[in-house]
Amino acid sequence: MEANREKYAADLSSIKEAHDRIKPYIHRTPVLTSESLNSISGRSLFFKCECFQKGGAFKFRGACNAVLSLDAEQAAKGVVTHSSGNHAAALSLAAKIQGIPAYIVVPKGAPKCKVDNVIRYGGKVIWSEATMSSREEVASKVLQETGSVLIHPYNDGRIISGQGTIALELLEQIQEIDAIVVPISGGGLISGVALAAKSIKPSIRIIAAEPKGADDAAQSKVAGKIITLPVTNTIADGLRASLGGLTWPVVRDLVDDVVTLEDCEIIEAMKMCYEILKVSVEPSGAIGLAAVLSNSFRNNPSWRDCKNIGIVLSGGNVDLGSLWDSFKRSK
Amino acid sequence: MEANREKYAADLSSIKEAHDRIKPYIHRTPVLTSESLNSISGRSLFFKCECFQKGGAFKFRGACNAVLSLDAEQAAKGVVTHSSGNHAAALSLAAKIQGIPAYIVVPKGAPKCKVDNVIRYGGKVIWSEATMSSREEVASKVLQETGSVLIHPYNDGRIISGQGTIALELLEQIQEIDAIVVPISGGGLISGVALAAKSIKPSIRIIAAEPKGADDAAQSKVAGKIITLPVTNTIADGLRASLGGLTW
Repeated sequence: MEANREKYAADLSSIKEAHDRIKPYIHRTPVLTSESLNSISGRSLFFKCECFQKGGAFKFRGACNAVLSLDAEQAAKGVVTHSSGNHAAALSLAAKIQGIPAYIVVPKGAPKCKVDNVIRYGGKVIWSEATMSSREEVASKVLQETGSVLIHPYNDGRIISGQGTIALELLEQIQEIDAIVVPISGGGLISGVALAAKSIKPSIRIIAAEPKGADDAAQSKVAGKIITLPVTNTIADGLRASLGGLTWPVVRDLVDDVVTLEDCEIIEAMKMCYEILKVSVEPSGAIGLAAVLSNSFRNNPSWRDCKNIGIVLSGGNVDLGSLWDSFKRSK
Repeated sequence: MEANREKYAADLSSIKEAHDRIKPYIHRTPVLTSESLNSISGRSLFFKCECFQKGGAFKFRGACNAVLSLDAEQAAKGVVTHSSGNHAAALSLAAKIQGIPAYIVVPKGAPKCKVDNVIRYGGKVIWSEATMSSREEVASKVLQETGSVLIHPYNDGRIISGQGTIALELLEQIQEIDAIVVPISGGGLISGVALAAKSIKPSIRIIAAEPKGADDAAQSKVAGKIITLPVTNTIADGLRASLGGLTW
């Protein structure tokens, strides 16, 4: 199905504008390669290292674009979000750079390193219970009290455009890419990447990587509508969200397939990133490699002609204690 | 004291030649920055990530340059070294790329991941005891039996030139660098970096970083001659060697 550019929340031009807007503030992350991983996978792999992005994950791109897109009046009262993850720190950092306050509603149980990042970047932490309803309720209260602007972690055209800048860079850095594998949660990252990449190179394949224990995107593709799961169960704490009204159409139309992975596959891939690439990734960040190494990907004839595969290593924020536990358990 | 370029085992021109020679085979590693670390340190820090180099360490640069510098007759019989560390894997990989054998004498107790790397890159492991004399003895025997060429991990102009290419890249990537901090063991890395960097930018400062438990280089600087330590004691397993005649 052709990419009908007027229909989606972002397009190549909003993504290029986002890139110009955020360029002075972001890292243009490197692409790493490994002969060993090429040999193991049977493909040429190109790792776009968003784990080196400011705040330790790609989220800073979208947050930066959103904050910089606010007019002075909107911006003055600050921004608010509810997030247990990388969007929280990303928004705090983007707000700090602009000199405006960031109110971050954090559910109890959020990974310590991610909360530490929020504090380090000057975000004001307001705790909520770990349920979606409590998060939304507390965020709503903060919004009313402060007059701040709600910046959603993914269901926002400015966020999608910011994330799409990853594809602009990747395709400039490695022109021969014929497929990009992207972790999927709410769909912000993959929507931006798919919109940019397929506009630049229509033949490119976009493949989502999702935990089996949070496979709502895979189910949504099959059902032809957004499926949300009552409960998720995965070590990949960054990949538990469900698709939004703006990300679903892009996932429906422009994502060629969703590969689902067991947690043990994710951990194995994470180990390889550390041991072979020497790169610090969190489970959500390693899932793209897990997808490329999976039997379902290897045996799928649809991807036989995908020789040069871009993999987005989306983030590297992981508590070292949890990391060692995962590795020890997997032995 | 001025850098008297004819006196040393390498110079800017041998380093530039090394770069041309090894470029097709190495990674031009990225430079990473962190506002957080800048804040903590009070400086602007630029991290040249040789941890992303092939084989997982900078050693591949020197090994590659040395192997590619051999003439066909020398190369045919392969290369040999004794190493408990990254030079072992680096040499194995460089030899594999050239299609020649690599004989690696590994002392018992060498870190498993480093031995695994040697095997992964096709090096032939020959075990020795963990003493310097056993390593040298076994290496000597292998050399005689195979006719291979001994490639020293650091005390070799081709190795020093290969390592120096790091400074060429770093100064191209970040022109405003005014000092470079370099780990020191046998001195191959810092020699190459210092020779290149001070030729390009004479005002640049070169600072060595050494474990207190293996501080032979610090002692050598004070004494004005090579000091070797009978025993070293540090977690930094890659930094236990002493300076050589060419690096000192």
